[in-house]
Amino acid sequence: MSSRWSSCASLVTDARYGRVVPAVFLVSAASLANEIFLIRLLSLRFWPHFVPLIISQAMLGFGASGVALHLLRPRIAKTPGTVFAWVVLLAAPSFELAFRASQHVPFDPFLLLWDPSSWPAFALFFFLLAVPFFLAGAAVGISLSFPLGRAHVLYAASFGGTAAGAFLALPAFLFVPTELLLRVPLGMGLLASVCVLSYSCRRFPAGRLLCAGLSAVLFLVPPVPISLTPYKDLAIMKRLPATETLSVRAGMTGDFRALYAPGIHHAPGLSFRFEGEIPPQAALFADGELRGIVPREGGKNPPAYLGYLPAALPYRILGRPAVVQFSLRGTEGILMAAGNGASLVTVVEPATEYVRMIEHDLAAFSGGMPPALRLEIRKEGGRNFLARGGRGYDIVELSDVSSLTFSSLGIHATGETYLLTRQGIRDALARLTDRGVLAVSGWLKSPPRESVKMLHTIRAVLEEGGGAPVPARFIVVRGWGSFVAVARRNPFTAGELAAAKRFCRDTGFTLVWPEAGPPTDSRGPEEEGFREAVHSALAGPPGRSPGEGLFDLRPVTDDSPYFHRFLRLRSLPAFRRLLGDQWFPFLEWGIVFLALSLAVSVMLAAVFLLLPLPFSPAGGGSGGLPVAIYFSALGLAYMLIELTFLKIGILLLGDPIRAAAAAVGGFSLLSGIGSAVSAKWESPETMRRWVFPGIAVLAAAGFLTLFHGAPLLLAKEEGGRFLAFLSALAPAAFLMGMPFPAALSRMTVANSAAIPYAWGVNGFFSVAGASVASVGSLWIGFHATVAAGGILYLLAGKLYLRLESGTSSAPPGGI
Amino acid sequence: MRVDRVAIAFLTGFLCVGAALEARQADPYLEKRLAMVRDQIEKEGISDPRVLGAMREVPRHLLVPPEYRPMAYAPRPLPIGEGQTISQPYVVAFMTEILRLKPGDRVLEVGTGSGYQAAVAAKIAGEVYSVEIFPTLADRARRNLESLGARNVTVRQGDGYYGWEEKAPFDAIIVTCAGGHVPPPLLRQLRKGGRMIMPVGGPFLTQNLVFLEKDADGALSQRNVLPVVFVRLLGH
Repeated sequence: MSSRWSSCASLVTDARYGRVVPAVFLVSAASLANEIFLIRLLSLRFWPHFVPLIISQAMLGFGASGVALHLLRPRIAKTPGTVFAWVVLLAAPSFELAFRASQHVPFDPFLLLWDPSSWPAFALFFFLLAVPFFLAGAAVGISLSFPLGRAHVLYAASFGGTAAGAFLALPAFLFVPTELLLRVPLGMGLLASVCVLSYSCRRFPAGRLLCAGLSAVLFLVPPVPISLTPYKDLAIMKRLPATETLSVRAGMTGDFRALYAPGIHHAPGLSFRFEGEIPPQAALFADGELRGIVPREGGKNPPAYLGYLPAALPYRILGRPAVVQFSLRGTEGILMAAGNGASLVTVVEPATEYVRMIEHDLAAFSGGMPPALRLEIRKEGGRNFLARGGRGYDIVELSDVSSLTFSSLGIHATGETYLLTRQGIRDALARLTDRGVLAVSGWLKSPPRESVKMLHTIRAVLEEGGGAPVPARFIVVRGWGSFVAVARRNPFTAGELAAAKRFCRDTGFTLVWPEAGPPTDSRGPEEEGFREAVHSALAGPPGRSPGEGLFDLRPVTDDSPYFHRFLRLRSLPAFRRLLGDQWFPFLEWGIVFLALSLAVSVMLAAVFLLLPLPFSPAGGGSGGLPVAIYFSALGLAYMLIELTFLKIGILLLGDPIRAAAAAVGGFSLLSGIGSAVSAKWESPETMRRWVFPGIAVLAAAGFLTLFHGAPLLLAKEEGGRFLAFLSALAPAAFLMGMPFPAALSRMTVANSAAIPYAWGVNGFFSVAGASVASVGSLWIGFHATVAAGGILYLLAGKLYLRLESGTSSAPPGGI
Repeated sequence: MRVDRVAIAFLTGFLCVGAALEARQADPYLEKRLAMVRDQIEKEGISDPRVLGAMREVPRHLLVPPEYRPMAYAPRPLPIGEGQTISQPYVVAFMTEILRLKPGDRVLEVGTGSGYQAAVAAKIAGEVYSVEIFPTLADRARRNLESLGARNVTVRQGDGYYGWEEKAPFDAIIVTCAGGHVPPPLLRQLRKGGRMIMPVGGPFLTQNLVFLEKDADGALSQRNVLPVVFVRLLGH
């Protein structure tokens, strides 16, 4: 809802003390923690970027609870204390049981497009995970809607719990194994259950004891293993014969696992000229996706095969280079540098637990790090490292910008990649020494996509700085399935080009740029397509690469940092025309899933939030168009602004979990406080002149401060960045809590029959808004999305005075 | 005599119609399979009659999990368990054709999966040796291939990365599971004059196919060949 459940009862007048307050605090905390933990659990089960889906589920649960309270008000009013106690008792086990149950739903996201029969399973999956939010929302809503305590105390408990849940969740990632994360909200719920065991009755009723006992038993039973989608790298490797788990660690940045199996043989793009043996390897996974490789005993003697990968090119061009690598690829990147004569290696890796796994847990397997190498591992984000400035490097390595494995399905199309934006590449080029090169490698695709988009990006940044002709500052080499491109601020010398040619001769790879010689018959269409694309990207006018009409290959910016989104929506008819039934695989699954999430969430929201409205005891009056537009605008606008702050938070705070905790927790807390004090601000004049324009202005100002202040903020320590982020969102978030309760209060006087309708419509658009915000970020950018949110608030402000019109009926009494 | 001839002709016709009807009843997917070959394979440029014949004969629906049988002849890969997929029919036909298989060839397949590719290759080649790393898939494929009567296919559970040294050299090697590199042991087990094909791409999407040939001197040449859909995209 506009400010989640906290806004539903600004008119509470009666006040009683009791055990309600701690129960509300704990249930609120558990609910927020559940939301944060689900981000990790679904990231592990399926893929990252489930944030919009989870926020939609939460909104559905909260919205449905608000509608249910209004519809069942006469019944609940008879024994509100008993209903409250039971809702709290049921909420506790639901945090664990809903996820367990969702694991049994036969839901394969990859079949959603091909097999319509899988849609009901997806809807069931979505519904199950919304149940805990429904119960938590109902518990808090009952306590506020019925006189179960003093309003301001209950508000404080709810906001305090929300904030506590968001910020306690972060350290929990460090100390609680991933499989047990949901025990944290279960434990909080259990404590809340204890608070209400004898609430509003004389003794301890057996039913309540039984329910709380069940939660306690659930707390002790072993966790169910997280069932991964079968195509995920970890799921496949775990099924290999004789697999052995070497290490498991978890932290805020991910769930990390190291496996050894004799069947692991990883050497991406290895030259056919290599005839030696690849040593046994351990594979490292972050949230179930392959993240790196550790060759056995590689630290003692770097394996020779690492010199036969395309990514070895820059080492052949420059002697004794100082190297910086972004992301720790097991030990493979370090060993490649060591085996090819690097004088210094700096690895920038934000995942502390992952670094510890490699340095400590796998030290015996890896043989440690090469003793002769000067090695430094910086535990921070790539953009933070670049923003801080410091020494220059001869090689800045960005490896694996396109993947061969699970992620090749386009699942990262909706994931933010701030290192690969124009700003990120500009910062990376700024750290090069005079002879230094930026090296980018990845898998070839047909038609070429990542490779071309990266060349466009580097070219655009180099052209900003003027100087020598840009084409002379690139070398591009093609392996049989992968590519490597190196670029620098100065042209390459004849000696360096000769070194690149020698590398190609030794490995059998081909030099694609600078162009050498006319086409030969031996080149197939794939190679010709790649050559043509490289030529067009480096020497031709933009927009002429093969496939560029179908795919979006323009450089991305921090305003819409989706490097892996290539799909042009307007190309879909062309795909169908060209490929007939075979066009589905070219859709990027991240986007497909976002669209399907939107469709399913809207359908469920319609079922649970809109369909029940005619059954309202007050008659279900719609309140007319002003009510519909006002509450739709609030629901949508809130999500557009909150989600966009979350996404810019990923840049500033380093990862989606931290950003979600700060954004969701911060908005919930501040909006809750805004709701609590809204009664003092709800005069038409104040709302119209100050609150609505204030939201638009402050949201824009907060966002612009974060966005344009990023270069400065990124160089600050984590605590400072958190503080800056919360400070930027706080003023707008505070005001954003007011329009919903203020409008309800206004309608209670003259248009009360429309209140359930207002709840339903607002909930519906809040559910849809989470996905709509992501769509906006993908296609129109953050600035435009925040602006759209602000405009919707201004529109709502125009309608605020018209909410009293409509059919009046008897007030429902004390919402 | 004339009556006899009429009776014999009538009986023969009756038997033919009966046999055809029975065949159709025994193979309810026959029409779909023939349509698949016509629309997805011949129309897309596969012309080797032996490949087309094999694709018409192998009942793909018996090699996919029962719940996906209705989609067995659709132009798409399907899950077969263990995170693996059965390639779409066109890719199987394309890989078979490009290897230029002939009777008497000894073929190594790495990644048996459902057994579909092995069954198609076995219709043309002399012997097919197939290695599957996942025991469940290897067992299921072995059973499936036996039930199809593919007696010239031998399935072994093991790590296909190392090939099948005892049966080497091979005239053709088909790697049906996408990999990040071509295993050096497989290159060694390829006979001089032999051909090898390997897909590159993630699950559900074959990006391109790496085709290798070893000439009479043992030198390797390589080119990436594209499924038709990619060629169409490049030509857009």
